[in-house]
Amino acid sequence: MADGPAPIHDIEFTLNGDSVSRTVSSRMLLVHFLRDELGLRGPKIGCDTGHCGACTVNYDGKVIKSCMALAVQADGATIDTVESLAGESGDLDELQESFREHHGLQCGYCTSGVLMSAKFLLDRNPNPSAEEIREAIHGNLCRCTGYVNIVKAISAVAHGDSGLALIERLNREHATEVDA
Amino acid sequence: MLLAPVEYYRPDTIDEALEALQTDGARPLAGGQSLISILKLRATTVDLLVDISRLDDLRSISVADDGSVTIGAGVTYDEMAMSPDLHHAYPGLSTIAAHTVDAQVRNRGTFGGNLCHNDPINNFPPFVVAVDAVMHATGANGSRDIPAGEFFTGYFTNALTDDELLTSVTLPPLNGRSIGYQEIEIGEAAARAVAIVAMSNGSIESASVALGCLPIPVRRPAVESALAGADSTPEAVAEATAAAGDGIEPVSDADASADYRRAMAPVVAKRAVLEAIQGGHHG
Repeated sequence: MADGPAPIHDIEFTLNGDSVSRTVSSRMLLVHFLRDELGLRGPKIGCDTGHCGACTVNYDGKVIKSCMALAVQADGATIDTVESLAGESGDLDELQESFREHHGLQCGYCTSGVLMSAKFLLDRNPNPSAEEIREAIHGNLCRCTGYVNIVKAISAVAHGDSGLALIERLNREHATEVDA
Repeated sequence: MLLAPVEYYRPDTIDEALEALQTDGARPLAGGQSLISILKLRATTVDLLVDISRLDDLRSISVADDGSVTIGAGVTYDEMAMSPDLHHAYPGLSTIAAHTVDAQVRNRGTFGGNLCHNDPINNFPPFVVAVDAVMHATGANGSRDIPAGEFFTGYFTNALTDDELLTSVTLPPLNGRSIGYQEIEIGEAAARAVAIVAMSNGSIESASVALGCLPIPVRRPAVESALAGADSTPEAVAEATAAAGDGIEPVSDADASADYRRAMAPVVAKRAVLEAIQGGHHG
């Protein structure tokens, strides 16, 4: 510690499958680094206070809010943003496709964070109940949809149904929850 | 930039961390789910962040043969929630961890950070006080054990010196006791109680009751005495916990007044004891 640590650090990490090396200021938030230095505009800044979840990314296999971590901490980490979901040709992945089909967004500002939380849930729990889906996106605020269509979109991917069958299944689940 | 200029250092060992903490203005950074918010607001001055979040020595959960559990200070809420060992030894605690804030915070926030930060809304301070946990601290002058009841010293403060780290916390064996954990949320948690109850032949053999949402979480010895030997009926528990709010000094803020919080103390205490009697906290 004789020279003291530097306020600027070289970091190297894996971002959406590619290796990235950069020099960052130790006071820079991860979300600002991703958006302003690396040009990834998927993670959004909704609140600056760690509440809204619009900046959610996957960090070493688990979702975190990228406004609640420092860029310098990413050294050695593996980070995936919403940009990792679609294929190289721009084809939506099944979760994104389901959000489109079930109208799981309106303004879309929360969507990149919600998608990352939903993917984390389905990676861990391929058959979540509607209640488990709601718990999984507890840290993602949406002010447009009332969450109903978000839950529908995630549930449809998990259970492989759509249309009337999906609605009837969710209604049955809801009735069971209310009884319990 | 939201944050004021700050230096950053990520040590590879606890000894390196302790050496760095000798620096004036140094502060440990664990999960950062409270500290980074404070730094964004520039509500405190930190010159050097010592990132302890990846120190393996802080990150294990171990259960001893006698059923006591030692949880590393750097274990995240999610790791607590997902640990089969913790679920087996302290089922109520793993349930509490599983419902702390949200998935993103659980993946990053740490048990030790929650305790050291001692925000009155934090959930683990009253828990470790209720179970008589032992806090293990280490510093340049050696290691020491601090009883949980002496660890919290006021709003956002604890008994550690600036160059000490909380390394782990040992929870004594539950030995068949059940955990009750009840809170009332208005915005943030407004009142919270933790009860650890041993039953014998259908009545209460012994109980410990702690209240949170206070600058210093407190045990309620008069309530505990009244509960010892009491019937397990809702009426008996209500009577024994009626004075749970006596003498406490909660804060008045935008979420709830001090009077309201005081009035809710017996409510959450009663609910927590009844929950423990009925088998314990399951979320």
